Amino acid sequence: MLTIDAKNVDFYYSEFHALKNINLEVEKNKVVALIGPSGCGKSTFLRLLNRMNDLIDGTRMTGSVLIEGKDIYAPGIRVDELRKEVGMVFQKPNPFPKSIFENVAYGLRVNGISDKNFIEERVVQSIKSAALWDEVKDKLNKSAFALSGGQQQRLCIARTLAISPKVVLMDEPASALDPISTAKIEELIYELKKDYTIMIVTHNMQQASRVSDKTAYFYLGEMIEYDDTIKIFTNPKELSTQNYITGRFG
Amino acid sequence: MQVKRFFEKLIEGFLLISGSITSITILLIVIFLFKEASGLFTTPVVEEGYVLAFNKENPIKHLNAYQIKQIFDSEISNWNEVGGKDMPIEVVRLSDLTNYYTEEELGAEFEHIPAKASELTAKTPGIVLFLPKQYVAKKFDGILLDHETIRPGDFFGGKEWYPTSTPSAQFGLLPLILGTFWVSLGAILLALPFGLAVAVYLAEIASMRVRNVLKPLIELLAGIPSVVYGFFGLVVIVPFLQQTFGLPVGETALAGSIILAIMALPTIITVAEDSMRTVPRAMKEASLALGATHWQTIYKVIVPYAKSGIMSAAVLGIGRAIGETMAVLMVTGNAAVIPHTLLEPVRTIPATIAAELGEAPVGSGHYQALFALGAILFLITMIISISVELISKKKYAK
Ligand SMILES: Nc1ncnc2c1ncn2[C@@H]1O[C@H](COP(=O)(O)OP(=O)(O)O)[C@@H](O)[C@H]1O
Ligand SMILES: [Mg+2]
Repeated sequence: MLTIDAKNVDFYYSEFHALKNINLEVEKNKVVALIGPSGCGKSTFLRLLNRMNDLIDGTRMTGSVLIEGKDIYAPGIRVDELRKEVGMVFQKPNPFPKSIFENVAYGLRVNGISDKNFIEERVVQSIKSAALWDEVKDKLNKSAFALSGGQQQRLCIARTLAISPKVVLMDEPASALDPISTAKIEELIYELKKDYTIMIVTHNMQQASRVSDKTAYFYLGEMIEYDDTIKIFTNPKELSTQNYITGRFG
Repeated sequence: MQVKRFFEKLIEGFLLISGSITSITILLIVIFLFKEASGLFTTPVVEEGYVLAFNKENPIKHLNAYQIKQIFDSEISNWNEVGGKDMPIEVVRLSDLTNYYTEEELGAEFEHIPAKASELTAKTPGIVLFLPKQYVAKKFDGILLDHETIRPGDFFGGKEWYPTSTPSAQFGLLPLILGTFWVSLGAILLALPFGLAVAVYLAEIASMRVRNVLKPLIELLAGIPSVVYGFFGLVVIVPFLQQTFGLPVGETALAGSIILAIMALPTIITVAEDSMRTVPRAMKEASLALGATHWQTIYKVIVPYAKSGIMSAAVLGIGRAIGETMAVLMVTGNAAVIPHTLLEPVRTIPATIAAELGEAPVGSGHYQALFALGAILFLITMIISISVELISKKKYAK
C-alpha cells in the first residue's frame, strides 16, 4: 500500500489557483524531496498532507489525498488524529516557551497520555532519535529558548517523533541554520528514513540529491517532473527541470 | 531659509514649554493633594472652637477621636476602659450645665458660665466637659484637652466615617477602603472570567465577520458615560437584586460590582484579545501539528503565551473599577460601614469624595480628610499602573 497517494489535487487560495492537478505517490520509508522556485506551491502541497491549510480562510481543494489508503479529506476524519499520523517540522524552529522536556512531552500530553514513566521514556528516546541527547541531557528542564537554532530545530524534530507519526513533513528544515547544523539534520534524515516516510521541501540542490530517494520538481503550481532523485539530477526529462537544477533560474 | 529655521525653533520651544507645563501641573496637583491631606494630622480631634476638660485628679492625658466618640455615645462609661482609674465617666455638655446650676447662677447673659464650669470640673472627679473655648475661664481649675490632634492611627485604622459628628468627627479609612476593595474585588471576579471567555472567543473562534462586528461594538461600550451605566444599574440591577435576594434595599456592594464589571469588560476584552492575537502563528501551528485540538491549543499554548497581556488586562480592569465614581455612587447605597457581605450597602473612596467635597468647609478637618482619601486613591492607582508597566515589561524581556 502506498503511504502517500495524492490524486488530481487542485488547490485554491480564494481565487488564486496554487496547485494544478498534482498526482504524486510515495512508498513507505522513502524520502521525497520537493524542489522548485519560491512560490511554486511546495509548502502549499506539504501542508495539504496534514491539513494545515484548513487554518487559512477561503481555501478550497479538489481531488483526493490518501495516507495509507485512508482519504484524509473524507467527511468525519478527525484532523487532530490525522496530525498525529503526519507530523510536521517547520522552516523556522518554533519550540514552545517551555522546558526542553515539556516541548517533547507536549504531543504526548495532548494525546491524553499521563503515565509519567512512559512519557519520560518516550521523551528521552525521541531526543536520542533526533541526535540531540548528548547536547541536552543535563538541561532537560531548561528553557528550549536557551538552545541554538540548530538545536532548536532538532528539538522540534524530536517533538514530532515523540508522537510516533508514520509520515514526517519537513518544510525547508535547514534553511535557517548554519552549515554544521544543516549537516546534522541531513544525517538525521538519513537515519529517520528507516522508520518514517519523509517528505522534505528544500531549496538546496545538494541537499535534495544527498538525502532523498525521489524528487518532485514543482513550477508555477504544477508538478513538472517526479522521478528517482538520481534521474532528476543526472538526466531529467524536462528542460525546465534541467534549467532549475543547473541553476539557470530559480 | 532663515524664517523657516526661526519657525522650527519657535515650534520646538513651544513643544518644550507645553511639555514642561504639563509635567509641572501634574506635579503641582500631586503636591497640593498631599499637602492638603497632611493637614488632616494637624487638625484637633475635638471640634474646632471647643475643648474637652477633665478633673485635675484624672490621670488621662490623651484621648483619640474614636474614644471621644464612644464616651459621648455612652459606649464607654468608665475611665478604666480608656486607660484611666476605675471611675464612672460623667459626660457634661454645655446645655447640661442647667442640671447642675440654676439659670440665675449661670447669669442672665451666661456671664458666670466660665466660673461655674471651672468649679464643676474641680469638684467632679469623673467629669468630661465639652465646652466652647469662649467659656473657658482664665484660671480654669482642671485639665484641658486642646492640643490633641488626629493621629495617623485614627485615620488609617479608624473603623468609622462620621465626618460631621460632634464633639469628635470620625475619619476612619477602613469602611471606605474595604467598601472600595469589596466592590472592586466583586467586579473583577465577575468581569475576569467573562471577559477572558469573550477575548478567547474573539481571538480564536469567531469568524472574521463576527469579529468585525463585535469588536467595535465592545469598544463602543467603553465610551458610554458612567452616569448612563449608573442609571441602568439603578433602574435594572438594583430592583433585580432586591427581589432576587429579598433585600431591604437593592443598593448594595454587589450592584456596584455588577455595574463596574460591565464597565471594566471592554478594557479587559480588548487588552486580552490583543495579546492573544500577538501569539505567533508558528506557536499555534506547532501545537496543532502535534495533534492538539483547537481547545488544547488555546489553553496550553495561546493563553500561557498571552499570560502577561491577560494579567495587564486584569490589572487595568481593576484600575478602572477602583477609580470609578459616578456609577458606583448611584448604586451602592453609600453607607459608610464596614461591609460583611456583598449584599450590604457600602461606600467607596471615590464616591465619598464626590458626595462630600461640596459640603465640607474649605480647610476643615473633613475637607482635609477627603484630600487624604484622594491621596490614597492616587497611591492605589499609581501602584496599579506601575504593576501594569512591570508586567508588560516582563513580556518583552522574555
Ligand atoms: N495564505 C496564503 N494566501 C494566499 N496565497 C498564498 C498563501 N500562501 C501562499 N500563497 C501563494 O501560493 C503560492 C504558493 O505558495 P507556497 O506554497 O508557499 O510556495 P513555496 O513553498 O513553493 O515557496 C504563492 O504564489 C503564494 O503567494
Ligand atoms: Mg515554502
